[in-house]
Amino acid sequence: MIRLIGLQPTYMPRESLEFEYRVSNINQSMISAIEASVVWLTEGKGTEDLGVHSFQRLTGNALSAADWTVPQRVVVPLPDSPLSYEGKLLKISWCVRVRFYLNDGTELVAQQPFYLGTITKEV
Amino acid sequence: MSGWWFVGSLGEALFFASFFLVGVVCFTTIVGWQFLSPSTQVVRIGYGFWLLTTVSAACIVLGAVGFWYRVLKVATSDEHREIISQRGIVPRPKQLGSKSILPPSVPPLTPFTDSPGAKLAFRLPCEWKGTGALVAYGLFAMFWNAMMAVFCVFAIGGVLKGDIQYRLFALLIPGIYIGLRSGQLFLKSYIQAIGIGSTTLEIEDLPLIPGQKYKLLLVQYGRLVIKKLSIRLVCEEESTYHFGTDIRTEHQIVRQQIILDQGRFRIDWGRPLELECEISIPADAMHSFQSLHNAIHWKIIVEGEANRWPSYCRNFPVVVYPLARTSQLKQPS
Repeated sequence: MIRLIGLQPTYMPRESLEFEYRVSNINQSMISAIEASVVWLTEGKGTEDLGVHSFQRLTGNALSAADWTVPQRVVVPLPDSPLSYEGKLLKISWCVRVRFYLNDGTELVAQQPFYLGTITKEV
Repeated sequence: MSGWWFVGSLGEALFFASFFLVGVVCFTTIVGWQFLSPSTQVVRIGYGFWLLTTVSAACIVLGAVGFWYRVLKVATSDEHREIISQRGIVPRPKQLGSKSILPPSVPPLTPFTDSPGAKLAFRLPCEWKGTGALVAYGLFAMFWNAMMAVFCVFAIGGVLKGDIQYRLFALLIPGIYIGLRSGQLFLKSYIQAIGIGSTTLEIEDLPLIPGQKYKLLLVQYGRLVIKKLSIRLVCEEESTYHFGTDIRTEHQIVRQQIILDQGRFRIDWGRPLELECEISIPADAMHSFQSLHNAIHWKIIVEGEANRWPSYCRNFPVVVYPLARTSQLKQPS
């Protein structure tokens, strides 16, 4: 589960995006790696492009040292661009994406979209 | 994509792995034999040896790169792969100086600011789409006519010796016609390109910032009577995608505003037309954007219709920065 710490899912450039994530109903020992990232991606007629603004991978000691009884909090300063955009041929959207890799090879993905800027989304 | 993606990826990885193995076996056999038992060697050092060595080395490199690319595609997430590609094999040094203030995914400003204007700050570069066609017409006309000239020399030489080659003459007639037509086409395109005269556009400041106004100066050279001239500010989306085995690019104008619409007037040599106007970037405008397959371009388009000339269109790309970056750029250093 991902939760954005904010009253609304719209952030301005250079603001800090604060979010927390946690995994429930899964034993901590079953998790082999976690990747938390803040990404933008294009959708629409063209081939999809992906840009990674922030990427954090937890494995081994860093993973076992974390206290999973409380949600993991991450703070990421946001960039100036690209701003969220909804055009005719393409759409630029931002999201927080967390991937959990389990020991049995299963991969769980959770995603929480948000807007950067107010070009196509009024606050 | 159809079928089970895992089987496809596995097949690709196995293909490149076998390529790699074949390369290694060939390379070690050729090179090892050469050094360990020169007396029984089959391929002596020479063109054949170097050719086989190069092909084997190419197989090794191609197989290794292809195999690891496929493995990474299966074993890592999209985000992780993107981070690996950003960092590269050798970590990139951090950007310093002016480059560090470039906003992410926005085209660089350098190609637009390296040419100062005569009256305003910058002269914008012109993007003319007819250049490729003009060069292609010219090259075709040149090579075709050169070939026809050689054939003509043979044909005339034969006539002078009293040996008239009727088949060659039969081929020369359509060949010369194609040569003349291609030359005519090239000359027509060339005259159209230079006849109307160049168009320059100067702008007060760059990058453009939403909500701001900028002065523009249009200078039209040449000797002609212009029936109509217009300047438009255009925002255009561009998307590139695969369609079967083709790669297609689609353009869509999403926003445009007419900056100037001028009626009939005359231009003479040495007295170019100069028009001043102002553009206003909408406050809610999307900034310029460039990624691998998608882009948002801003450009100023000058379109004209002249007497006895075909209508012309010249594009001057500009860069619009996001609003947040503006405050930093405008702060005194």
